[in-house]
Amino acid sequence: MPAREGTYGLLAEFDTPSDLVRAARQARQDGWRRMECYTPYPVEEAAEAIGFHRNKVPLLTLIGGLMGGAAMFALETWISVLAYPLNIGGRPTYSWPAFIVPAYEWTILWAGLSAAFGMLALNGLPSLYHPLFNAPNFRDGATTDKFFLCLEALDPKFDLAETKAYLAQFQPNSVVEVEY
Amino acid sequence: MAHDAISHDKQLPADLGAPAFVDGWKSRALIVGGISMCIAILLIFLGNAQDHLGFDHFYRAWALGTMVTWGLCVGGLALLMVQYCSGGKWGLLLRRPLEAMSRTLPLIVIYWLGMAAGMKRIYLWAQYTNAEATAKALKAGVINELQAHCLDFKRPMLNPDAFLSVSFLCFAIWGFYTWRLNALGLKRDSEGPETTPYWIKKLENISGPGIVVYAITMTAAAIYWVMSMDPTWYSSVYGLLFLVGQGYATLAFSIIVAVSLSKAEPFKTILRQTEQHDLGKLTFAFVMLNIYLAFGQFLIIWSGNLPDEINWYLDRIRGGWGVIITLDFIFHWLIPFTMLLSRDLKRNKKRIVRVCQWMIFARAFDMFWLIEPNFKDAARNLHFSWGILEYIAVPVALFSFWVAYFCTQLKTRPLVQVNDPHLAEILEPEHVHA
Repeated sequence: MPAREGTYGLLAEFDTPSDLVRAARQARQDGWRRMECYTPYPVEEAAEAIGFHRNKVPLLTLIGGLMGGAAMFALETWISVLAYPLNIGGRPTYSWPAFIVPAYEWTILWAGLSAAFGMLALNGLPSLYHPLFNAPNFRDGATTDKFFLCLEALDPKFDLAETKAYLAQFQPNSVVEVEY
Repeated sequence: MAHDAISHDKQLPADLGAPAFVDGWKSRALIVGGISMCIAILLIFLGNAQDHLGFDHFYRAWALGTMVTWGLCVGGLALLMVQYCSGGKWGLLLRRPLEAMSRTLPLIVIYWLGMAAGMKRIYLWAQYTNAEATAKALKAGVINELQAHCLDFKRPMLNPDAFLSVSFLCFAIWGFYTWRLNALGLKRDSEGPETTPYWIKKLENISGPGIVVYAITMTAAAIYWVMSMDPTWYSSVYGLLFLVGQGYATLAFSIIVAVSLSKAEPFKTILRQTEQHDLGKLTFAFVMLNIYLAFGQFLIIWSGNLPDEINWYLDRIRGGWGVIITLDFIFHWLIPFTMLLSRDLKRNKKRIVRVCQWMIFARAFDMFWLIEPNFKDAARNLHFSWGILEYIAVPVALFSFWVAYFCTQLKTRPLVQVNDPHLAEILEPEHVHA
């Protein structure tokens, strides 16, 4: 990706999640789309306020889980029935109850791994650089006690002066211009 | 600049009493219960005319209905104690409905007396109370050698006197905890907020040991009341299976009650999506734990393949019962599991209630699979008879009467406990806390 230049967006800092949610809701209502909330812990209403859309993580988890379960069950069946058939207590070689536990474990394992890595991949992680870290107050507050709303320059409504005034009406602690 | 967070808090309505439509539920439950009981009585005669098992099936179904309602009653008591120990806003939300569930104990005693009256029809050990009787029955071919041996060997534990005394002891203990927690719950509200820390500790100290006592007494009751229907078999996870099953049904019932109450104040104000979602997740955990224990028990007995254990499963798999256990697996686990996986469903009032209603049915269906194959006429031989329909009529009747009694209890006190620090939190907008 070619290096971008100019303004990434305007970052407003709030003290409480309520203020953030209120501002985000209003911005969404006023037609803003390229925006993002940053909070020290998950705030579900903030996600809803900026039009949280569905992602593909649940689907990846389901596919991962089913594949894991099917793979282990198939492996056990292949070992016990075809590769190395053993007579265990006179039971049939295809003794499915015994196969359930490892198959279940693999379902969980692969569902978990798919969820974790799927989430990272769909988030565009690992990412070595993000313009927001240029803002000192973001570096200090985003993981401790501050709540941020960023209106991005990619939004067609974005205009440096106007947007700055627009954000000021929500009475944030500060509005910072973030460079790429 | 920060806004005052309190400014958008919700206000608790002045009237915290149960809404008027609870009376409507009650009368509807009484009507359904009355009709079902009439059908159940009719079925006794139809059953008697067909295979002389009319009364037998009636009592077996009565036992099933008693077990389902008993599970909700002591399950409610147990969950009440759990939430006192664990804390959490879901606990405050459910406290009064759970108290009302625990106060249905007198009705359960009446149901249980009905079961005890039919003792001779549902328990072999009540039919053959001494070695002579067992020997005679063995000679006549009514019972087999294994049964005769187990009946004689287990007689010190499995006899009518022990059954009655253990049951009464259990009822007394549950009654004590029910009385204590309910009385203190009300007393707590009559005192000011400065007493809150005292009450939190006090109820924790009663509930903590109470949970252990509940687990032990509940196991004893489950063994006497259900497991001993087949005197030849035992499983050490049986009590735990019942415990988890009670949690499963109790949570499902609590969600139905909380969501249905939220059509009016005060639950309209205090039931937030967050807590509904939390309850859905907790229920999901019980769905998982339930299949984990049920399958664990099966896997161990299947692996052991011992002649004195495996018969219990063979009675419940062969002769058509395979269909029932497959359906049981689908009803009891697969459907709730796949449904409750969905985040949207857990946050949707209508749908989560549907799933919870289904779960209560599934619990009764599972109990059918546990109870009916204990008897000679049904083991490895699933067949239709008029008597089988008792398994629908009697439990529906007992459950309906129980719901009616529950509604009466629900109306006796305010639906929200106010002397609790969680109350302020539950009135806050949902995004304040993670």
